[in-house]
Order: sequence, then structure tokens, then C-alpha cells
Amino acid sequence: MDELTIVVPVKAAVPNITAVRLDPNTHNLVREGVPLMINPYDRNAVELALRIKDRFGGKVITISMAPPNGKDFLESTIGMGVDEGILITDRVFAGADTLATSHAIAKSIAKLYPNFSLIIMGEETTDSTTAHMPAQVASWLEIPFVYYATDAEPNIKDGTVKITRYLEDEGLLEEFIYNMPIIMSVYRNSNPPRDISLNRKIMAKVNGLVKVLTNKELGLNPDCVGLKGSPTIVAKIEDAKPLPRKKQIFQGDPKEGAKWLLENLVKEGVIR
Amino acid sequence: MVCPEWNQVNKNDYRGIWVYVEHFNGKISEGSLQLIGKAKELASKLGVDVAAIMLGKDLDKLLMEPIYYGADKVIYANDDRLSIYLPHIYAASVVELANKYKPEIILFAATKRGRELAPYVANTLRSGITADCTALDVDPKTRDLDQVRPTYGGNILAHIRTPTRRPQLASVRPNVFPTPPRDESKKGELVEEKLSKLPEPRGRYLGSKSITEEDESGLPPVEKSDIVVVAGKGVNGVEGVKLLTDLAKLLNGTIGGTKKVTDAGWLPTSRQIGQTGRTIRPALYIGMGVSGAIQHVFGMNESKIIVAVNSDPNAPIFNYVDYGIVGDYKQVAEALLELLRERKKQ
Ligand SMILES: Cc1cc2nc3c(=O)[nH]c(=O)nc-3n(C[C@H](O)[C@H](O)[C@H](O)COP(=O)(O)OP(=O)(O)OC[C@H]3O[C@@H](n4cnc5c(N)ncnc54)[C@H](O)[C@@H]3O)c2cc1C
Repeated sequence: MDELTIVVPVKAAVPNITAVRLDPNTHNLVREGVPLMINPYDRNAVELALRIKDRFGGKVITISMAPPNGKDFLESTIGMGVDEGILITDRVFAGADTLATSHAIAKSIAKLYPNFSLIIMGEETTDSTTAHMPAQVASWLEIPFVYYATDAEPNIKDGTVKITRYLEDEGLLEEFIYNMPIIMSVYRNSNPPRDISLNRKIMAKVNGLVKVLTNKELGLNPDCVGLKGSPTIVAKIEDAKPLPRKKQIFQGDPKEGAKWLLENLVKEGVIR
Repeated sequence: MVCPEWNQVNKNDYRGIWVYVEHFNGKISEGSLQLIGKAKELASKLGVDVAAIMLGKDLDKLLMEPIYYGADKVIYANDDRLSIYLPHIYAASVVELANKYKPEIILFAATKRGRELAPYVANTLRSGITADCTALDVDPKTRDLDQVRPTYGGNILAHIRTPTRRPQLASVRPNVFPTPPRDESKKGELVEEKLSKLPEPRGRYLGSKSITEEDESGLPPVEKSDIVVVAGKGVNGVEGVKLLTDLAKLLNGTIGGTKKVTDAGWLPTSRQIGQTGRTIRPALYIGMGVSGAIQHVFGMNESKIIVAVNSDPNAPIFNYVDYGIVGDYKQVAEALLELLRERKKQ
């Protein structure tokens, strides 16, 4: 290996999940007209990639499957220091679940960057929080994967990478050494992202550093992508029904309210 | 219709429910045991057995545990190559077993390790997976697993299905379902499997060290307390959290927060209550400055008594309360502190 090629798949997340509409037939999110932002935790992944590049050299690429207006947030990642961006966009990809999304992303990486060294991804997205994607991309590419990385130190000479990761629920910091290529996700409370340079972002726009990839170039079977290539369906949606509760509401002087509350809680036997 | 690149699935070949039973340092994760209870319930509707899947080395001492908690059998692999947990090796092992036995459903506890493992298994089987389900059911006719989780657009639940593929996979956070009783008189079958197709490790485990998140409150974990005072974004900073922590102490309870509060770093993430945090069922939940988003409500809905203080009379949280006070959290919390201190003196 003479140079690191680091690919960072990023998601165009929905900033405000309560202010969106669902398609009445597919129950999928209607993306038209919804503003896009980069999934916040993906910026930590970009940061780790850039830190590796700062220390060991190489090239960092962001890649995203998004509607055509996704170009802008990929340009923002170039503003952080990324070298180039790839926007995968095609109507046949619409309605993809995580399997179909990971399929398009994995195949794009394999096609454009077959000699990639590392794929680095955010821990999860803030709008759907499945954390599926890194493992699914690994599954398509048949390479190892490790979640929740806080640090990674590649060794270009022997082609290995030392990865530290943090398991939050166990309070455990683990260390691994893997042969590259490998996929890792980045622990969301590590690698706080650097600022976006507006000059670099404009430069990205002017020089066309974000390239668009459609299924014409990718050539995936239309039955294996988008809604058709998604094993899961949203069978139905319904309003969440609150459990029956007493719903006694006090309005008025806060001191009186506190007294009223305490009396009731004592009556309920939950405060002694 | 189905992608021709995937293996053909004949749904009738797939029977039985699996629970992947996670263990670490000789201890089985509670979330896995809870899923055995749920799996039993689903299995009785489908007329099938529940099998626990265990991977590792020197498993002997643990093997009967899933049976004591209700599993009909344990399918396990005792293998040197599994002495250390490498995600892709463990995932490939589950895939190999699933290809052999063809279960219709596989459930994973959504621990950090479980969330890492499950999507690789699902994807390699070219099947679907739903993360962090808040409810699970089965349709006895189609044998589809009904996977329920909140979705976009306010207080809306999505029912997700995998109608054309098998197995169907889902993950569930610990404590969403109760732990079934342990009964050492229960009997079940132990089935040892040898794994053949494991991939190359391509990596090595170097070691680990424990670090605990800073937690200034000194109070018990949120799942371990009968009274939980929960701070929402409306408490507006660490000062507000401090006030509610004092209240929690006086009540002999503990302090928790919404995701907005833990994301802001006002409380450690171990104190986040909700669909993507901890699930609690205390005798008393008191939320202050909490709006009542569905993702939060799913972590506290089963509390015995729910109390909320919110300055907005239209806040959704008031749909979920037994007792609500419309007002400023600070004034109410201070008044409560005063009253409680007086009571203590008496
Ligand atoms: C996929 C996904 C998973 C999520 N998982 C979780 C989860 O596990 N847990 C979770 O909590 N959230 C989760 N969320 C976030 C959730 O949707 C809400 O954004 C969050 O719960 C809101 O937190 P909050 O109530 O503290 O803040 P807000 O919604 O901002 O509400 C603040 C409330 O404080 C009130 N207020 C303001 N000032 C005062 C005052 N002086 N006195 C009294 N009241 C006041 C306001 O009226 C308002 O109702 C998730 C979101 C997504 C998309």
C-alpha cells in the first residue's frame, strides 16, 4: 500500500423529524422540499478521516446517496478538508431501506475506489438511529468492521491499522489491530469536528469537486435497489396511543401546585 | 420481483424463533434474557420452539442459563476461534448457523455489541432488520414479525415487516421487556455445532480497559431507582439539572434526562431516558421541562405514576401524565424542595 484512500459515507439527514410528511402509500419519508443537513455524527467520522490524513497522508472522499440537492452538503465536507465528493442520485434508488442503501453505497465504493484502505462512518444517524449501515456495507464488501472507534492509527508499511473503540454501555475501551481494508464507525462523542472553511467550500463548487453518479454508471439491477431492493416495508403507520392516565392538571400558583402534587403523591403511596 | 441476485427463499422452510444470547466475562446480558421471554410468547402464537444461540469458548457454565429463563434449546459453538469477540467472525458464525437451521425470526438485544452484530447478519442473509423495536408481535397467518418503532413525523409508530424474506431480524433495547423468572428445574436440549466456514480473522484483539463516564451526581443508575426525576431541555443548563438533582436526592431517587439534555452534556449519556437510551419503570417519574416526544415517552411510559411540570399547557407530555403542573419548573422544584425539607424535619 503506498497511499491511504479513506472513504466516508455520509447521510443527508432530516433536521426536524416532526416537521415532515410520510407518503400515504409507502409510508416512506417524502424528501421533496425537505431541507438537508449532514447527519451530525457523520462529521465526527469526517474528522477522524481528516486526522488520519493529517498524520499519515492520503486522500479522503465523502460519498452520499441523496436527492440532487445533496451536492451542497458534500461540498461542505470538502470545506472541512475532504478531497472529493460523490453524490449517488437516481430515482431508482428512492425508497431504499438500510439494506438497499448500503448496497448502492458499497457497490459505488467498489467501483470507484476498489483499492480503498478504510471506510469510516458515523456511529448512527440522528433521524433514524439504526446504526445499520457500517455493518451492512461491510457485509456487501465482505470485509471486517468495528463500531464505536475513538481513534485509528494506520501503518502504511505493513497495511495494518490499530483501532481503539469505546463500548459505552460496558464502559470498556478495547483495542484491535486489523489488516486493511476495514470499516469502522466512529463513537459519536469522540473526534469533535473541525469548522468548515467557506473558501474551500466555494472552491469545491467552482472546481466541481463533487461528482454525480447515477445508476447508468453503476449498472445495478433495478430490482435490487431502492424500494424494490428493500426487504423491509412499512406495513402501516398509526398514531401512538397514550396509556390511560389520570391526567389531573394544575394551573396556578407554583407553591400551591407543589403542595397539591405532594399531597397526591403521598395519597398514591409513592412518597412516604 | 425479488432481486434475482439473492438466494431464493421458500418461507415454509423457515421455522422457529432464535434469540442471540450475548455474554461477556462469564455473564449473560440481561437484554438477551428478556428477549427469551418475549420470544416464548411469540413462539406460542406460531406453535414453534425458542432456541438460544451462544458463541464462544468455555461456555459450559453458561449453557443452561437460557433454558432456565425459558428457551427450549441452546444451539452453541464452543470454538477456539471464538475465544475473542471479533464482530465479523461472530456475525459470520450466526449466519452459518442460520443457513443451516433456517429460523424464521432472530432477535438481538440492542446492546452496543448487539447493534454491531445484527445488521451484518441480516444483510449477509439478504434480509431485513429493524433496530430498537418498542414492541413485537407475530401474524399467525403470514407468520410475519410485526416490528414496531417510532418513525418520522411526531407521535407516529411504524409497523415494519419483512414479507418476502426469511429470517426476519429485529433488535430491542435492554429493559423494554421484563426479565422472565429463572427456574432451575426447567429442562431443554443442548445442541453443539461445529463451524466450518468462518472467515479469516484478519485482525487481533489487543486488550481492553475499563473507564467509567464521569457522573457527578453520585446517584444510582436510572434503571435502579423507584423515583426518577428527569430534566428536559426546558431546565436550560447545568444549573437547572443541579436543582433537580437536589430534588432527586431529597426524594431518595435518582436523576435522568432527555436526549437533548445528555447530548448537551448536562448529564452523562448513561442517564438518557428513551427509545435510544434507557427504559425505566419506576414507581414515580417526574419530568421537568420535558416536552414529551414519543422517543422519550417510550422509555418511561410504564412508570407507575407520571408527573410533569411544563410551562406550555399544550406540551404533549400532558397527554401522558397522572399529575401535571403548568408552570415554571424552577419555581415548582424550589417549592417542592422546601416542602420536602419541612416534612423531613417533622
Ligand atoms: C431516532 C430518534 C431517537 C431519539 N431517542 C430519544 C431518546 O431515547 N430519548 C429522548 O429523550 N429523546 C430522544 N429523541 C429526541 C426526541 O425526539 C426529542 O427531541 C427530545 O426528547 C426532546 O427533549 P426535551 O423534551 O428535553 O426538549 P424539548 O422538546 O426542546 O422540550 C423542552 C420543553 O421544556 C419546556 N420548557 C421550557 N422552559 C421551561 C420552564 N422554564 N419550565 C418548564 N418547562 C419549560 C418547553 O415548553 C418544552 O416543552 C430521539 C429522536 C430521534 C429522531
